Amino acid sequence: MFMAPKPIEGEKRVFMTGNEVVAWAATAAGAEIMYGYPITPQNEIMHYWTRMAPKYGRKFLQTEDEISAGFTTVGGVLAGKRAFTATAGPGNTLMQEPMSMAEMMRLPTVLVVTQRGGPSTATVIYSQQELTMTCFGGNGEGMRIVYSTSGHQDLYDYTIKAFNTAWKYRFPTFVLGDGYQSKMREPVTIYDPEARNISMVPAEAYMGNPGTPGVDRDPVHLRNTYNMEEELLKVINDNMATYESIAPEIVEYQEEEVEDAEVLLISHGIVSRAAQGAMKLLREEGFKVGYFRPITVRPFPAEQLRERAEKAKCLLVIESAYGQLKRIVTDSLYGCTTTIKSYMKPGESVTVEEVVEKVRSLY
Amino acid sequence: MSVQPQMPRTWRTETKPHKFCPGCGHPLVLKALSWAIEELEIEEKVVFGCDIGCSLLAWDFFNLDSVQTHHGRTTPVITGIKRVRPDLVGVAYMGDGGGYAIGSQHLVNSAMRNEKVTVILVNNTQYGMTGGQMAPTTLPNQKTETTPYGRSVEETGLPTKGPEMVASISSEGSYVARGTVSNVRQLKKYIKRALEAQLNGNFSFIEALSLCPTNWRTNAEETWKFLEDQMSKYFTVGEFKTPAQKKEG
Amino acid sequence: MSEAPVILEAYIGEYASGKSEVAINRALRLCEQGREVTLVDLDTVEPFYTLRPLKKQLENKGLKVIAWETKETVGLGETGSVLKPEMRWALKRPGDVILDVGYGVEGAKTLNLLEGVFKRFPLKVYVVINTARPFTSEVSDIVEYIKTLGKVDGLVNNSHLGAETDLDLVQEGARIVSKAAKILGLPVVATTAEIQIAERIGTKDCMGHPVWVIRRYMEHSFW
Repeated sequence: MFMAPKPIEGEKRVFMTGNEVVAWAATAAGAEIMYGYPITPQNEIMHYWTRMAPKYGRKFLQTEDEISAGFTTVGGVLAGKRAFTATAGPGNTLMQEPMSMAEMMRLPTVLVVTQRGGPSTATVIYSQQELTMTCFGGNGEGMRIVYSTSGHQDLYDYTIKAFNTAWKYRFPTFVLGDGYQSKMREPVTIYDPEARNISMVPAEAYMGNPGTPGVDRDPVHLRNTYNMEEELLKVINDNMATYESIAPEIVEYQEEEVEDAEVLLISHGIVSRAAQGAMKLLREEGFKVGYFRPITVRPFPAEQLRERAEKAKCLLVIESAYGQLKRIVTDSLYGCTTTIKSYMKPGESVTVEEVVEKVRSLY
Repeated sequence: MSVQPQMPRTWRTETKPHKFCPGCGHPLVLKALSWAIEELEIEEKVVFGCDIGCSLLAWDFFNLDSVQTHHGRTTPVITGIKRVRPDLVGVAYMGDGGGYAIGSQHLVNSAMRNEKVTVILVNNTQYGMTGGQMAPTTLPNQKTETTPYGRSVEETGLPTKGPEMVASISSEGSYVARGTVSNVRQLKKYIKRALEAQLNGNFSFIEALSLCPTNWRTNAEETWKFLEDQMSKYFTVGEFKTPAQKKEG
Repeated sequence: MSEAPVILEAYIGEYASGKSEVAINRALRLCEQGREVTLVDLDTVEPFYTLRPLKKQLENKGLKVIAWETKETVGLGETGSVLKPEMRWALKRPGDVILDVGYGVEGAKTLNLLEGVFKRFPLKVYVVINTARPFTSEVSDIVEYIKTLGKVDGLVNNSHLGAETDLDLVQEGARIVSKAAKILGLPVVATTAEIQIAERIGTKDCMGHPVWVIRRYMEHSFW
């Protein structure tokens, strides 16, 4: 097992930007290599990883593009290492090809996405427009696990968790952040996972294990190509059945004041901070407002949301995208008759004040 | 009485007969690779990656740990493995479309970075598995499904000379050669030198001139003639870069 | 133009160490003393919490600010590290000049982009240190880091944890920064603190360094 020097013993309250948090978390999680290609707003993940890597016995490869960054990550995982990459926007688009291979072959890649504006080059700043792509991109079925973080502590916790989820369940796992979280600075507690009794799921090699293939052991033959429809159907059905059976263990969400909520605010990622703030202000004013935040946006906490949604009078989906979260919500709630309203600002932030105003307008 | 010819140790009998067409050059290249691995006694260390296209039919060809990747992406997958397992020997196996078209950036950049991997590219002048379309290696005036009147150099440029390109950009110590299935002993020697270059910590690249009677629509005699008279004239066989800077025909 | 000798200072330091914050506050204080002050945004690596969004606000307070305005650039972050021509000549301006220099490997080398940087004596280069940042939380790390920076004239203790900052953290930062400064043979120019904490510290920190009261402007700037 990999025993590299630890970047941190115990725990420590520190002041950092989100991208640095990711680099520290990946180091603390025992990631052995990052493969990456420059794109804003992800760059400082690489900057800080490359500063720390030699100190803690880790590696880095700067590739020729995101396609290569993704496929080298696949290679690192095949070799049995906790390997990860990070990207955003158009880079995430290119990353879908290697991630579809990881999805088909159930390879535990970890990809940190720092969402930026879209479509195309758009802005390098911020958005939540990579939700659909990160959950369902590529020519696949969305057999992925996607954690949507809302700030620095989440970035730290879920980057560590992503490696464990990936290696435990063997599905490609994503940390879905955004440019604001990347660049914002706020206090965060960084820790050695062991100090919190988090044990890291060991990585295992798919290829290159000891022994001469064909003599001491069978050779490993891995593929993602199948001949016939029936053959593929079986593979996908089996993988999907596994995915659906583990989904309840993986699903995470946050909720507050949902019991008597008339208006239920639904948001993910950093926007949920505005929604939560608005909920608190509105409660003080006597409005019965609740707050629901999926942390895993894939698999989605559909049952839990349905239970809360059916009791509410109105759902307000708030996002920095044009209905990407709303589509998932609507799909999850099919048959539920509660009105669904939306507040959509593709590529722009949402403030507490805006949410408060929007909710007031619903009354 | 029949005597089975001796096969290399990594030749996996359970998956034979192989799935390549009769007269295909792939099995000859793969056999040359097998012999080279055996002579170097590195079976235990080799990880083999194959591309999309006919090369993917090699996915279970060997008693070697093998992975079939995406079209053009075998080089980065093997690079990714090699970066964290420098003790292994990585072989990326692909066709001319995979290496010179869709994956050309990976070939160029892995050579530039002197990745410690061996890329073996099979040149059969067209895309075989998709039904015989023009490839970067299609000869001038050669007819393919997408150049039904013959490849126009004016419209599509000249065939890619890969080893010449790679030799000019790769580091000292790397090994670059073009062999041919019409001289398997020489091809095996080149592949062996390529693997040795990797074992010495350098990049290596082999292009193998190969045969595709199915898409060339040629009988045995014409198949051989196309390779010997046409391909070998345009694509010079030989070593383009050797660690000791020795050249050999 | 100011009567007193001109003050030329560059603030450099780790990513998110508070360089811009310290530079802004320093420039504003000089400005309040009736001096002519130009503040220059030299963050060329990955401009984010730079002065850009604050430019107007600072100009209204009487500062001259040389910084791109967000709307003047295209694809910030893609092309954001473009040097504004005026920046190159900033040291030739009359009056005091305060430079806010970006982080990055050898970020201090950014100063080489300025005309006359080594001629117009005395440009002082101060390193801003926040000991709540893990790369600069220990004496040895700070020493090692500062040794990579080239010409340095002093250290500023800007230890804080945002809204969670307390008195002990600032004083502990002062002790750590002092030790590092002693090893390096450099002075500690100041300890910074927001008003509530500064009042509790007094005019000198526990190591006897002057306390600069600062207001945190940067939290309000996005890109």
